[in-house]
Amino acid sequence: MKRYVFGLLFFSLFLSGCWDRRELDQLAIAVAVGIDKADDEYQVSAQVIVPSEMSVKGGTGGSQVTLYTVKGETVYEAFRKMTKESPRKIYPSHLRMLIFGEEIAQEGISEALDVFSRDYEIRPDFYVAIAKETSAAEILNITTTVESIPANDMFKSLSVSEQAWAGTKSINLDEVIADFISDGKEAAITGIELIGEPNIGASKQNVETIKPAAILRYDNLAVFKGDKLIGWLNEGEAVTYNYISNTVKTTVRTVPCPAADDGKVTIEIMKSKAEIKGNVSNGKPKIDIHVKLDGNVGSVSCKIQLKDLKTIAELEKSFEEQGEKIGEEAIESIQKQYQADIFGFGEVIHRSNPKAWKQLKENWDEEFSNLTVNLKVDLEIHRTGTINNTFLEKVKE
Amino acid sequence: MWFFKSKNKKTANPQPPKTSPKEEPNQKAIIKLKASLQQNIETIKNALGNSSDIITREIRIGKQGNIKAAILYTDGLTDTASLQKFILETLMIDLNEIDLQEKASPGQSLVSILKDVAMTVGEIKEITNLEIILTSLLSGDTIFLIDGYAQVLVISNRHWVERGVSEPTAQTVVRGPQEGFNENVRVNTALIRRRIKDSNLRIESKEIGVRTKTNVAIVYIQDIANDKIVEEVHLRLDRINIDGILDSGNIEEFIQESAYSPFPTVFNTERPDVVAAALLEGRIAIVVDGTPFVLLVPALFIQFFQSPEDYNQRSIIGSLIRSLRFVAFSISLLAPAVFIAITTFHQSMLPPSLLMSLAAQREGVPFPAFVEALIMEITFEILREAGIRMPRSIGSAMSIVGAFVIGTAAVEAGLISAMMVIVVSITAITSFVPPSYEMAISVRMIRFVFMALAAVFGMFGIVVGLIVFILHLCSLRSFGIPYMAPIAPFNVTSQKDTLIVSPIWKMTNRPRLIGQKNPVKQQEEALVKPAPPENEKDEGNMK
Repeated sequence: MKRYVFGLLFFSLFLSGCWDRRELDQLAIAVAVGIDKADDEYQVSAQVIVPSEMSVKGGTGGSQVTLYTVKGETVYEAFRKMTKESPRKIYPSHLRMLIFGEEIAQEGISEALDVFSRDYEIRPDFYVAIAKETSAAEILNITTTVESIPANDMFKSLSVSEQAWAGTKSINLDEVIADFISDGKEAAITGIELIGEPNIGASKQNVETIKPAAILRYDNLAVFKGDKLIGWLNEGEAVTYNYISNTVKTTVRTVPCPAADDGKVTIEIMKSKAEIKGNVSNGKPKIDIHVKLDGNVGSVSCKIQLKDLKTIAELEKSFEEQGEKIGEEAIESIQKQYQADIFGFGEVIHRSNPKAWKQLKENWDEEFSNLTVNLKVDLEIHRTGTINNTFLEKVKE
Repeated sequence: MWFFKSKNKKTANPQPPKTSPKEEPNQKAIIKLKASLQQNIETIKNALGNSSDIITREIRIGKQGNIKAAILYTDGLTDTASLQKFILETLMIDLNEIDLQEKASPGQSLVSILKDVAMTVGEIKEITNLEIILTSLLSGDTIFLIDGYAQVLVISNRHWVERGVSEPTAQTVVRGPQEGFNENVRVNTALIRRRIKDSNLRIESKEIGVRTKTNVAIVYIQDIANDKIVEEVHLRLDRINIDGILDSGNIEEFIQESAYSPFPTVFNTERPDVVAAALLEGRIAIVVDGTPFVLLVPALFIQFFQSPEDYNQRSIIGSLIRSLRFVAFSISLLAPAVFIAITTFHQSMLPPSLLMSLAAQREGVPFPAFVEALIMEITFEILREAGIRMPRSIGSAMSIVGAFVIGTAAVEAGLISAMMVIVVSITAITSFVPPSYEMAISVRMIRFVFMALAAVFGMFGIVVGLIVFILHLCSLRSFGIPYMAPIAPFNVTSQKDTLIVSPIWKMTNRPRLIGQKNPVKQQEEALVKPAPPENEKDEGNMK
């Protein structure tokens, strides 16, 4: 008898299982989510995988993703309302991109972000981007060619580009939130823009031509103050921002030839390290930035003697001067135009002099715009590629 | 559930009801033969019911041919050539030329004289007990009766048709001895003796089975094996009181400790080299007549992952293959369960591209992942079982049908997802990796429990299942030795032959707990470590 009671109790344990069980074919796997403002409500768009179109057997030739757009008072409510359209519940674990429309970004995005950091199903490893001069729904509605899932296309092109070009930078949810709550740092979020015809871009026709009518492109960075978009960096400012915040993996930069020639030399940067030191003297904060770069000569279009070490030194000098000039201009422009400390100089001051920071932080935006910043660039050129002097000088006129 | 059940049983009823099988025959009145030849032949024949394979040959011996005698033997079990040459010829021809009385010691009976002087065979006994005579006769011995004497000579010239010593079929190796046991207990003990020419090797015989009277030999090395375990083996074997033992598996069921555990606690092998190695470690072998499978006790979990080949090739290769077996064991145990858990509960654990590809495959599959896995696993078990029983000529036809139906058609029809076929296939393949078939069967069984746990509770269920699984393994004992030794209880020196295989010269000690009585098996490591010759030592920095 005892054994039966025990058995009954044991098997009743199994009744507690299965409650959160879902088969793969009950999931609407959302790969990208866009958030826009629609009157007083949020308009949430979810780009969802259509698994049958992805199967090896081919599917019916339809699109591999579909877009659900729903309005709701909160983002979470909108997600739940999506089941009115979608036969499956939205599954956000594999989100690759979270895109905010420019309009909502100007009004502030932190309320919308709460659900993404709160929900247990969401992994905060997706990229956040701001749609420049368009809505997020528009961006998510464009078909792409190489990667047929647009969210994957956006995700991969951003992660490749940030490693190969100093002008782009990815930022994920955790970093965005950390920047929003930091006293000494403002956020700079990747911008994405739609180039071409949105109407054709939304159709299959877009991917049937060799040159698509509409493409998505990462462009520059959105400057935030608090959680509100206040402006866009230009190319030079974005590059400076990336060098200083140590997010440059590799990139290239073109400098004029040291000799009076009108040619150009492209330097490939292999390694970049910025050391930022802050100090406060007489209540005046000061920042010293030392950017150390290792590079190679990537291409040459003038007749210079690369065998000669002097030429290399000249090249380095020319690069450093140009870099310092562009950098200083960019920093000053950011200081004056936006008064937003996207570089995190405030955090540097905080670390070097916590006491002084306590007073400075009350009025940091103003302090930042008047901050003295010394920029020093150091380049070392190691290699010149597989040849020394260019063959250009031997080319027959 | 059964884990608990078996445990309860064990405590409530530690042993099968104790009876005393050996005393039973003694309780019957011992029937002795009379002095009359005719009467004796009648008695024996009646006892055997006039079976047609019992041959009686009546002869007359002595110079005058006045002594009546008879020879009885079982046709087919006796070597008729030696019967003719060494018994009949001696008695009927050679004996006529010698004077028996001359060679006899005073007061010796004729039977005794014949035994000492005339019978030119090796093993011979003088017996009066009918019971023993009948057993000997049925075992293939020749019975020699003389008129006027109650004593009978039992001449051992057994010989029957048997399978030769051939390659082991179930436990093959690439490198190593290719000899396997056969069905004859004597041949088998000889194969062991040939490998260990040690005076301490003990072979003790027993008869088990009231009717089959199966010959069972207990083999051990006296100064290595633990006396208590030897005693325990005797005790447990003596407890068996069944009418027939037809295979060592029957004995295994009687002597194992936890009857309802899915894990084997008695090892079996058909390889003499494995038995010899086990004896040298201090284990005890039980050789049963009529089967090539020899039992080895105590059996530890780790033993089921040790193949003789591990030691026959260089240790680095042995180690790699040994660890591979544990990996295969885990895959075979958990692969379908983990797959079910991840695809129905923890989709967020998968990389996005993998999830998308799995989702694409699952599209349109009508069953939940658990049912899908269950269908595939059961189908595979059926195929495997069918493959064993089926005549060999049909086998290939069936494997084609099986592979085609399961592998291709089921996926194409959209009944099963392709990934599930891959998971079940890898599970099936890995389940053949442990060298021991017994362990593979246990895993086959437990896999289904894990699959059910995964389907109900996901990873949580698998982890709880694993905890119970490990607790159960740790609670098992084989002849008093903890089943998981030397992992739990942990022993450092025995690790040399656990998850990896150390070089042979490094294994200086026998496994602890088993070979404790005589722990050292070779001299100190430093002396036997391979090194270049002395004079090169300075240059080579060998230490």
